[in-house]
Amino acid sequence: MTLYSLRAIVQRYNGRVVLDIDRLDLEAGRIHALLGPNGAGKTTLLDILAFLETPASGTMTFCGELVEPSPQRLLQLRRQVVLVDQHPIMFSATVSSNIEFGLKIRKVDPTVRRRKVDEALETVGLSRYKSAAAHELSGGETQRLALARALALSPMVLLCDEPTASVDAENQAIIVGLLQQINSEQGTTIVFTTHDRLQAAALAQHTLVLESGRLAEVAYENSFACTFRRDNQEHNAQLYCILHGAVDLALPALTSGRPLGPSGRLHINPEKITLYRPDAPPESGLDIVGTVVLAMAEGDKIRVVVNIGVLLAALMDRASYQQCAPQIGATVRVRFAGDAITLLDVA
Amino acid sequence: MSFFLESFVAACRLAWSLDPELLRIVQVSLTTSCLATALASLVGIPAGFAIAHSRMPGKRIVVTLLNTLLALPTVVIGLFVYVFISRRGIFGPLDLLYTQQAMIIGQFILIAPLVTALTIAAVSRVDARYRKTARTLGAGDWQTALVVLREGRFGIGAAVISAFGRVISEIGISMMLGGNIKGFTRTMTTAMALEYDKGSFTLAVALGLVLMAISLGVNILFNLIQGRSGR
Repeated sequence: MTLYSLRAIVQRYNGRVVLDIDRLDLEAGRIHALLGPNGAGKTTLLDILAFLETPASGTMTFCGELVEPSPQRLLQLRRQVVLVDQHPIMFSATVSSNIEFGLKIRKVDPTVRRRKVDEALETVGLSRYKSAAAHELSGGETQRLALARALALSPMVLLCDEPTASVDAENQAIIVGLLQQINSEQGTTIVFTTHDRLQAAALAQHTLVLESGRLAEVAYENSFACTFRRDNQEHNAQLYCILHGAVDLALPALTSGRPLGPSGRLHINPEKITLYRPDAPPESGLDIVGTVVLAMAEGDKIRVVVNIGVLLAALMDRASYQQCAPQIGATVRVRFAGDAITLLDVA
Repeated sequence: MSFFLESFVAACRLAWSLDPELLRIVQVSLTTSCLATALASLVGIPAGFAIAHSRMPGKRIVVTLLNTLLALPTVVIGLFVYVFISRRGIFGPLDLLYTQQAMIIGQFILIAPLVTALTIAAVSRVDARYRKTARTLGAGDWQTALVVLREGRFGIGAAVISAFGRVISEIGISMMLGGNIKGFTRTMTTAMALEYDKGSFTLAVALGLVLMAISLGVNILFNLIQGRSGR
């Protein structure tokens, strides 16, 4: 079932377009990841999905019904969707009072309320802090409490803005586990934003990418900021790009135009990357060498992440993977197909 | 110096003996100040909250005007209210001049801008995420407003206490609109001025001691609230 359906949604701040989505459908019961750099419009989109902001133009349906921007209707919808902020703030009260807040507003019976508070705290592993002042919890515990506060309301949709961005590794693992548990046990639709492509790939069944307020047509997970240089001033001189100031990459002949300026962004299609053993004869001068840091099954393909100075994801079919058989920690030769690289800002 | 010490000792004895005249003066002062503060809070807190959250054009002008009113001299307010409530004024028939009600009206005008301005400051300091969090947890407009008020309660409390401190120590309004009538409108500050004029320092010093004690108590409370707010 399609839960959200957005058509021609535009949001402006002070006349500047910050979000421009032509079409977006989100299925119910799934985990959706929203990737994109800072300022891409991820938080704005979450605010719209949470019915906290009304878009400047466009139409939106929720559960098949058109979202009317009347305060009463939006309030009803907000009670089915909860947004957990990147830096959640707790009311200056106890942990249990914070969780009870939404339940009190919904006029839930006190006995049921207490039970739901206990259940939510148990789910996130914070039962021992029930009577503690919420402001005294650590960052990771606060994030878990924010999840508990949302869970107690049994929402249809849980929206999380970078839920693991500002917590330690232990709490990151706990939060990721919780999101999976909530989705699988309660069927809650989850939409979360992240910068971590691997986390998105591991957790989400559907990945969206926002670039400058627009949905990217493909999952630009190998999307890098870069600067360009040429061997000489000749028009046909070899073009190089330096990814994140660290990796010098010789570009094949580009079919997607020429760079706009001395710096820009490029995308390397993970399905157009082939890995070879280091002793394989180089086919061209464009090969680079890296170390395998992760290999995981993804549908009928294998995702291999190679550290070439930046983390580069390659999506291989099983036959290619078995041929190369890259082990974690092993050195591999990375080769790009002629049409693997697309410049995102081109003239 | 010995004259001052003698007056001080006599004043302490007077205060300790709970002199009826002194008690009546303190009672009038506290009654008018508390009522003026309560009225100013009833008007100033909602007004400050509404201004802080409104997106009306000219909001900055309103805030600037309120801040200007904080410096309004008490005698100007006394004069202004006198024009309206004197026998020739439009509210003359109400016979308000030289009553506690007249003093309360003047004191209300004195501190309502103070409560409003400090409430605006207190509410503006409340983290915007409280509002967003309350809304996403399903709160309506009123419930969200209550959350913001709750989170800004220490700042708002400090505004009220600050207003009380201002009003209990003023003299211009009480003198011009109350008339310093013994037993009715004589407050601590007007009585002190009178005793000073008479050259009788004992009651003046005793009242000064009580006023200082009240001011000290209010400031201790103010600091306690600010301390909690700052945590």
